[in-house]
Amino acid sequence: MRRALLRKNASTLLLFGLSLFLVATAGPLFASQPIVIGGSLPLTGEFAETGKLIEKGMKFWAEEINAKGGLLGRPVEFKIYDDESNVGKAVTYAEKAITVDKVDLLFGGYPGTAARAVMPVAEKHKFVYVSMGGHMKSFEQGYTFSFGAPPLMGEWWYEGFFQWMETIPADQRPKKAAVYTMNNPVGSSLTGSIQKWTKQLGIEVVIDEKYNLPLPDATPLIMKAKQLNCDMLFANGFFGDGVMMIRAAKALDYNPKAILQGIGSVVPAWIKELGKDGDYVFSGTSLFNKLNFPGNDKLNAYARKEFNIDGYPLYFGFGYAWMQALAQGVEGAKSLDQTKIRDWLKTNKIETIAGPMTFDEKGLPAPINFCTQIINGQVELVWPLNVRTAEPVYPKPAWK
Amino acid sequence: MNSTLIFQSLISGVMMGSVYALLGVGFSLTWGVMKVINVAHAAFGLLAAFFAYTVFHRYGIDPVVSLVLSVPFLFFLGCALYRFLLIRITSARAVIVSSMILTFGVAIILENLALLLWGADPRLFTTSYTSKVIIVGPFYFQYPPVIGFVMSVVGISSIYLFLKRTYVGKAVRAAWQQPEASQLCGINLGRISAITFGLAVASAGAGGVGMGLLYSFEPHSHNLWLIYLFLVVIVGGVGNVLGTAMAGLIIGVITGLSMAFLPYQWVNLLTFGLLMVILVVKPQGLFQSEV
Amino acid sequence: MAIALIGLVAFPLFGPPVYFISFVFWVFLYVCLSSSWNLIGGYAGYLSFGHVAFFGIGAYATAMIGKIFGLSITMTLLATIPAGVISSFIAIIVGYPCLRLRGPYFAVITLCFSFVSQLTVKNLEFLGGADGLWLKSMDVPVLVNRTIFYELMLFLTVLTVWVSYLVGRSRFGAGLRAIKEDEEVAQTMAINAPRLKIMAFALSAFFPGIAGGIYACYLSYIHPDVVFDVNMSILQVLMALFGGASSWVGPVVGAVSLTLVNEGLSTFVKAELARIIYGLLFIIVIVFMPNGILEFFSRKRRKIER
Repeated sequence: MRRALLRKNASTLLLFGLSLFLVATAGPLFASQPIVIGGSLPLTGEFAETGKLIEKGMKFWAEEINAKGGLLGRPVEFKIYDDESNVGKAVTYAEKAITVDKVDLLFGGYPGTAARAVMPVAEKHKFVYVSMGGHMKSFEQGYTFSFGAPPLMGEWWYEGFFQWMETIPADQRPKKAAVYTMNNPVGSSLTGSIQKWTKQLGIEVVIDEKYNLPLPDATPLIMKAKQLNCDMLFANGFFGDGVMMIRAAKALDYNPKAILQGIGSVVPAWIKELGKDGDYVFSGTSLFNKLNFPGNDKLNAYARKEFNIDGYPLYFGFGYAWMQALAQGVEGAKSLDQTKIRDWLKTNKIETIAGPMTFDEKGLPAPINFCTQIINGQVELVWPLNVRTAEPVYPKPAWK
Repeated sequence: MNSTLIFQSLISGVMMGSVYALLGVGFSLTWGVMKVINVAHAAFGLLAAFFAYTVFHRYGIDPVVSLVLSVPFLFFLGCALYRFLLIRITSARAVIVSSMILTFGVAIILENLALLLWGADPRLFTTSYTSKVIIVGPFYFQYPPVIGFVMSVVGISSIYLFLKRTYVGKAVRAAWQQPEASQLCGINLGRISAITFGLAVASAGAGGVGMGLLYSFEPHSHNLWLIYLFLVVIVGGVGNVLGTAMAGLIIGVITGLSMAFLPYQWVNLLTFGLLMVILVVKPQGLFQSEV
Repeated sequence: MAIALIGLVAFPLFGPPVYFISFVFWVFLYVCLSSSWNLIGGYAGYLSFGHVAFFGIGAYATAMIGKIFGLSITMTLLATIPAGVISSFIAIIVGYPCLRLRGPYFAVITLCFSFVSQLTVKNLEFLGGADGLWLKSMDVPVLVNRTIFYELMLFLTVLTVWVSYLVGRSRFGAGLRAIKEDEEVAQTMAINAPRLKIMAFALSAFFPGIAGGIYACYLSYIHPDVVFDVNMSILQVLMALFGGASSWVGPVVGAVSLTLVNEGLSTFVKAELARIIYGLLFIIVIVFMPNGILEFFSRKRRKIER
């Protein structure tokens, strides 16, 4: 009797245990647990502007993929920490996402200094890390899990501009260049290509100076360039110092044939805040809202609706493109196994809003050489020819 | 090195320094007379700049004119801050230290309120006169820095005259020089402190708009501004209104000259290095502290 | 106390998620920084606003020693000790003229010093310039890697706090307090104020120097904007003052509570809102405890005992 009771108990227990096991394992199959993608972005502090745009780009991607039935048939969900623009925090939050939240995927961060510090962490934890990277040097450290899809690569930034300049008859090219570069990783990544190309095109670099941020005043810099008759100006800076250069150039009626403003002119504030004075500035990019690749019009429509601007902001696109790349890795590998995702990405072609890409052993696509110019308050693509949206305005008209 | 470039650098340096001084004068005042280091000072200035931006874009009111609204507002905000918060720490052993912690909290709140209200994008004042210039011989005077310079001269001299000439101003000075005696004379220390603090915060508003004329600003910009105003105030002698003005000019001259003679890479380094030297040689700042 | 310490040492052995090890590493780092700052800032009342300079110098010294001699990462970790010595040495050179300044003037000159050192590193190509430096990373599993750094930082922190405790009870500490009270009076009491100040300054630069070195190896990438971050300077000062700068306990309490609160806020509240609450916290605490947390509670206890 007693034994029977015991046996009965044991069997119920077993049954209970079995059903528990079944519920636990089958749960995900039926309820389709979300895929969690985690990491940190600078949502407050110095880099909040770009961090917030990237966040919006990623969320737009998630909305879209969830509407289509999710990734591997599971909905996606973000776990985003605010690293307060602090590199140390970006590192610990990456670890938090990986080890505490046990996220399925890691998303790429911003800015370059943070990406440079998070890349080794992703490598240690063997997590695929698709981000803008921290320029060429960071991709040369031998990391195998890091991808730039597309990267924000200072070394490639002016490539398109110079290729276009090469098509200009030699006698119409600028003769003398003034190069002012901010002293930080972004700035120093730009200088190599400037040196190489100016030599190749026979442009004499008369001024080649670095400055530390914050730039107190741009007037002396512009005046010097004007005095030395530099007919080409490189203002390799962020937004704040870039604006000061342009305004000083206008105030001093300094009219070089071409002005290149590297990084600052790619944020929407350039056109919105600076207005007409921001026109005719050349820059580069690695993805752009007027490209014909599938997806760009969708993003533009969204930007029109949400931000009330024509053409999505660059960093919004970056956030979206990185998630596109990661998602294709997952779909391609048909698994959330990080090594499989990495191997798939290394050997297959992916499609992003920045175009199709394949990755080399550094995790980089083939060099991107888009050149942009701001014409009549619109950013236009002027190089390469197959994606051109407008004729470049050269030489730059005099200030009004 | 040609003389035009040197003088042009000097001109822009001086204009720039004068705006730093305008931003710093109130900071110097609260520190010198009340022993309150208000690290939120620049954040109040930033608030005024954002306000001016909004008013300019909504109603087309010039940023400088918007001060008519924001200065009184900041004055009352400063008074309220003193009445309700700072007054509670006046009993602390080291008011300077406690006030720093308190206003640090205020600065964080203001920065993030700005982030919530205005977003993180950088802002500029782009007015009709933004890139206009006055050309005198070979020299260029851009409108915005000139306006900043004029604002600074007007702002600082009115604060100076207020302290020296008006009854309330004299009471402020008396109250902090001899608290007991002045209380016997019927001066209400609490009210005087509130007015002083309100005045300082209001002057930050003018300084903030001045900075906005020169530079782009974002919610976190006040951190950078704070560093510069710290320097100006220390070199000028804490609590010394005219000293602050002089210090602004000196820092401007240093920056201007180093931009003319040095590779730009070394300009900021030299500015800070030279300030260290100044402080070592004149450990009390270049000008005596006074009230 | 001993049990707590053993618990801390053994913590990584229980195999918690790597993040918790890294997070506690950060708590230690801040306890170490604010405790060593307290030696000069709290005891002697010389508010150094550029203490991050010594952290950065230590980080760069370690990285450069490792790079020049081609050391393995383990040996580089040993190089943190000479890095600490270099930090102290620079503190003596800088402190000699700077410590003659009082109060706010000292605060600003140290602030300037931290900018000068940051900009110098940025401008010198052989120190990696504005590009920063990469260090070799340890070829061990993540958990082991993080545990090593955790234990190292724990050791350094305990050492720092212990030294801070000893100094607080010693004649040296009494001398520093006398300087804080009134330097002129202290001088007349046969206290060699300049010497004591220099010693305290050098000592307070030593531990951040080592911490900087460990941090550099931990991060495996350093950049002037990261290891000379002015916010770090301000944070370590605030932590010490927040807790109460007059004893060794204050900085520990301040650093632990602020780091925990900040982390909690970042985890549970939205970005800006988290910051705003963090700011409110400073205001509320200081309004109710104008002399720091520690004094508030000790005074309360005294009242009850009475």
